[in-house]
Amino acid sequence: MAEVIELAPGASENGLATMLAELVSQNLADKPHKRADFAKLEGRVAIVAEDAGVALTLEFQRGRLIVHDGIVGIPDVTVRAPSDDVMAMSLVELTPRRALPDPRGETMRKVWEGMRSDRIRVHGALLHAPLMLRLTRVMSVH
Amino acid sequence: MSHAFPSPEWTDAYKDAVNANAAYREAGKTWTHGAVAFVVEKDAALGLPDDCAMILDVHGGECRATRWVARSVAEAEAPFVIVGRYDRWKDVITGKDDPIKSMMQNKLRLVKGHLPTIIRYVESSRQLVKSASAVDSRWLA
Repeated sequence: MAEVIELAPGASENGLATMLAELVSQNLADKPHKRADFAKLEGRVAIVAEDAGVALTLEFQRGRLIVHDGIVGIPDVTVRAPSDDVMAMSLVELTPRRALPDPRGETMRKVWEGMRSDRIRVHGALLHAPLMLRLTRVMSVH
Repeated sequence: MSHAFPSPEWTDAYKDAVNANAAYREAGKTWTHGAVAFVVEKDAALGLPDDCAMILDVHGGECRATRWVARSVAEAEAPFVIVGRYDRWKDVITGKDDPIKSMMQNKLRLVKGHLPTIIRYVESSRQLVKSASAVDSRWLA
């Protein structure tokens, strides 16, 4: 079944929303193995690029993604970070065999450092670990 | 000598500015994905009756050439095209705004090109735009 990725009304004026919709779309086209994760993704993830004053919500519905401007509904996971770190989260390295975040990767180390120093705050990740793992796989350009 | 932004003379000077930027040379050294075009949207009040563009032939951390062209030419020839209003470009060139943050805010828009590639080369993209700050620019407004 073909994936559906769409922008909710108003989201086309949100640069980060259009970028992430395009990123997911191109990642799925470039790396078809990511489609299995996309098909299982369900839940809402809010992302706030605090220094840019931009927020969006990714609403995953098992094979369908709706990207909203701002925080819409009650997110399962909320990520608050500077724009550079939001971008870096798409560069997280994955292990070759299991496609898990690679702790040896340069970007992954920066993300961990950001989380430890509270520069990157992720709310709800532990309660929704499968969602976070699949999201990381789908968003990563690797 | 200062050059009006945007203009053919400014575009020529931009090539030298990119090649003088050591940070770009390092960040872009593995870039082999083709030319990047920056489009300035028309603004009759500023004397820009049509969208205008500059194509940067960048490869391996070097800017091999720049060309001042119409937007239609840039969109036809360059694999990556970024578009913005005059004041948005001025803000990133003068360092008031960060180019990546400006894209997140929809002030600058990637209208053509493979976004995952741009994200892999995010620092290269930033340095390419920041190189413009070294051009002695004369602003229309």
